[in-house]
Amino acid sequence: MMKRISIFIVFVFIAAFTAFAQQRVIEGQVLDEHSKPIENANVFIKGTTEGTGSDAGGCFRLITGQKGDIVVCVMMLGYSEFTVKVKEGEKVPLIIKMKPDNVSLDDVVVVAGNFKLKGNSQWGGMSAVDIATTGGSSGDLYRSLQTLPGTQIVGETGRLYVRGGESTESQTYIDEMHVLSPYTTTGANEPVRGRYSPFMFEGVNFSTGGYSSEYAQGLSSVLPLSTKDVSPISKIGVNPSVVGLGGGGTQSFSKGSVSLSLNYEDLGPYESLFPDRMDWIKPYKLFSGGTQMRFNPNDNTVFKTYVGYDRTSFAYHTNPLLENSLRSLGLNEDNLYINSTFRKDMHSGYKFFTGGAFSFKKQNIDNALSQGDFFGEKEWEMHLKSKVTKRFTDFLKLNIGAESLLRHYQMCYDDSLAQRYSISHSINGLFAVVTLNLNSNLNAELSSRVEYTTLNSNWNYAPRLALTYNLNGFHLSGIVGRYNQLPENRYLIRNKNLSSEECTHYIAGLYHEKKDKIYRVEAYYKKYDNLVLKNSNTYNSDGYGYSKGVDLFFNDRSLFKNLEYMLAYSYNLSKRKYLDFTELTTPQFGTKHNATISLKYNISSLKTIWGITNRFASGRSYHNPEKAGLMNETTKPFNSLDISLTYLASKRVIVYASASNLLGRKNVFNYSYSKLSGEAGSYQATPVTSSSDHFFYVGIFITLSGKAAYDVSNF
Amino acid sequence: MVTIESYLVAILLMLSSSICAQDLSAVVTNMKKANTEKEYVTLRSELERLCIQSPGEWLPYYYIAYADVQLSFRTPSKEVRLKYINDADSYLKKLADKPDADASEVYTLKGYRLYALIAFDPQTNGPKYFGEVTQNYQKALELNPDNPRAIMLRAMFNNDMAKFMHRSYEGFEAEISKAATLFTRNNEQPNHPSWGKEWLDNRLTVK
Repeated sequence: MMKRISIFIVFVFIAAFTAFAQQRVIEGQVLDEHSKPIENANVFIKGTTEGTGSDAGGCFRLITGQKGDIVVCVMMLGYSEFTVKVKEGEKVPLIIKMKPDNVSLDDVVVVAGNFKLKGNSQWGGMSAVDIATTGGSSGDLYRSLQTLPGTQIVGETGRLYVRGGESTESQTYIDEMHVLSPYTTTGANEPVRGRYSPFMFEGVNFSTGGYSSEYAQGLSSVLPLSTKDVSPISKIGVNPSVVGLGGGGTQSFSKGSVSLSLNYEDLGPYESLFPDRMDWIKPYKLFSGGTQMRFNPNDNTVFKTYVGYDRTSFAYHTNPLLENSLRSLGLNEDNLYINSTFRKDMHSGYKFFTGGAFSFKKQNIDNALSQGDFFGEKEWEMHLKSKVTKRFTDFLKLNIGAESLLRHYQMCYDDSLAQRYSISHSINGLFAVVTLNLNSNLNAELSSRVEYTTLNSNWNYAPRLALTYNLNGFHLSGIVGRYNQLPENRYLIRNKNLSSEECTHYIAGLYHEKKDKIYRVEAYYKKYDNLVLKNSNTYNSDGYGYSKGVDLFFNDRSLFKNLEYMLAYSYNLSKRKYLDFTELTTPQFGTKHNATISLKYNISSLKTIWGITNRFASGRSYHNPEKAGLMNETTKPFNSLDISLTYLASKRVIVYASASNLLGRKNVFNYSYSKLSGEAGSYQATPVTSSSDHFFYVGIFITLSGKAAYDVSNF
Repeated sequence: MVTIESYLVAILLMLSSSICAQDLSAVVTNMKKANTEKEYVTLRSELERLCIQSPGEWLPYYYIAYADVQLSFRTPSKEVRLKYINDADSYLKKLADKPDADASEVYTLKGYRLYALIAFDPQTNGPKYFGEVTQNYQKALELNPDNPRAIMLRAMFNNDMAKFMHRSYEGFEAEISKAATLFTRNNEQPNHPSWGKEWLDNRLTVK
């Protein structure tokens, strides 16, 4: 037995001695995909800690006592691990070409300003702070987005109009689930706001066109918003403001959190201080509440549920100039949104997502069109979606999914006659997105969507191709994609056989970022088909149109310390034959030129952030019945100089103030014409303006809990 | 006999493990002296090899995350800085699977990584991560009230924030003094995190 032990020990020592006695040299060069040397790559022999780093020329020299065949491993941040087998006696220098890793491939361009560029026109991940500090945004998500190129200023509605598209063509998603009614309801010509606080969201990605086929029922743009996966800080806060009182908080647990937010707005006191042009009977009131539960059993699993409810009510006398008698319009609206999602990233690389969302809106309007009438509307939508994503190789990533949108809409209008309409239907779709990383500079994304709409028993097919090429930091992109959307319910109830409206996007873009400066230019052409067209009192799908233009964007954070400024310009020419427009003409919401200058300046000595924004839009077409032709006049240009101020009063108190249209310009968006009695062909024109030329907002955000600070403590 | 051979194999494995510990010890010693990007890159590479060699050990993962954070302060390229900060996060997440990891030290490093993220883009990330930085230091101190790194980093962070508000942080001197005292205590566990004393000495010297 002792003999065997002695042999074992001798063997071990001989092996060790031999290893030290016979050294061999492994040398070579580490290059990237473009044969450029990689410095500081970690080159080592697998199974040992013997290693070295590559020099500035990518060269390495490794001396080892390892015998036999060995495996040389090379690691570098941002690149996939590289291994190569080196046989004993082999003396050929190793030329190692590294490939970008999956993370780098998935985020082809993720740069400091949170801008993403991958096959679609995303203007980028804005944060809640970016939104709140944008001059004139009044803390509203949609107003802030309207400073970006591609958006058009339609001041009397406040909704998103993108690249010559109607506001209904822009869709909002929360955690990938559709939101049926993202805007608040207001009186006539009063701009709406987003229902949801920007502070709820961690990521705001706004795509003005060419987006993935994953997103359904949007012809012009999509706004995917993502709530926080984790909220590790418990906090409570209140925020009194000139329009009401809000408050909320988050309770954090080891594997999740619960957030609650309540908000009450009453414009009565504000109206008495700053009266507008409305003759209010009951000024605007809004009560809203929301809660979100997040559960993270581990780092790879997220379960989130959001429930939001709001109730809006107001009543006012309508403009008596256009009607024979005074009418008191009164509105009550209830809105509910429930969103529940589950996401799991498996170790095998598969990523699963499934979610359900329920939107419900009920609106009652007394004296809607004439004194004594009643208009009621009720609609709901259930959105169900599941998808799976997997990167199979450095070359290929696949995302496939299925979803259903179940919808119900009913409307009644009671005057001398009782009119009742109701529809129930579903939209069922399958989508697939294939990402091909052809090389580290060239990427392609092929996606397609197949959809079946039960109402008209139609199948729709929507393919899309996006290519991006990185030419020494200049990112070129080209996208062709087709999108479908069912017409609005108010038309579908008249004709259930209306086809899905179609829009094909053709986009070419250039993006460049250097030293805190971002340059971007995009040209586009959009072709519309199957638009709803009114013929006598019936509706058909014979409408069509186009929209073309150029968007320019420049952002600079390097001119002066603490100053960021942005220049955005959009040229758009759109014409469509749709609804009442029986010939190809510019829609009333269309503006040819839109330009925005936005500055943000952080004066740290005063603990303030100033935001100044000037928005300009050329005049809008309108129809003057006293003249020949359609849309034969143009309004004066729109201009608004807006300002916001964020003041960090103390660790737990943030004061936020904003004011719109400081120069007091009276912007006219359109003209309404009423027939004058007695004189044939004579009309009285009434300008369509906002109910108020200015809007002032002052809010104080107070953190009450101990641990959080410098934060808006609701969500 | 088989048992004896098994013992010998076990001894060899222990010897190998001891070599790893010695390697780590050398890295930890060098890390305390490191200052330049090049030095940290070299140490990071060595730690990467140790992580592969000893996947069950928590310390190589911890130190690689620490090296990533240090590199994020020293690398000129913004893109690479962000990669280091994200890489630190992935290593810190891996520490969740290592039951013997010192949770107080891990929370301290998480807070420090978030501080690096704020330093990367103060305007965007300051308001976003301020609370989380404080929260992580707080958790670290709940687990070990005598963690000198957590005390020091929290004091420095609170002091910087107070300066930003044109105020002073009253607890700063007392907390720094407490951290300085705690740094003089030797941790008996080999290679246990002990960084930070040099900074404090520098800061006190500069003062």
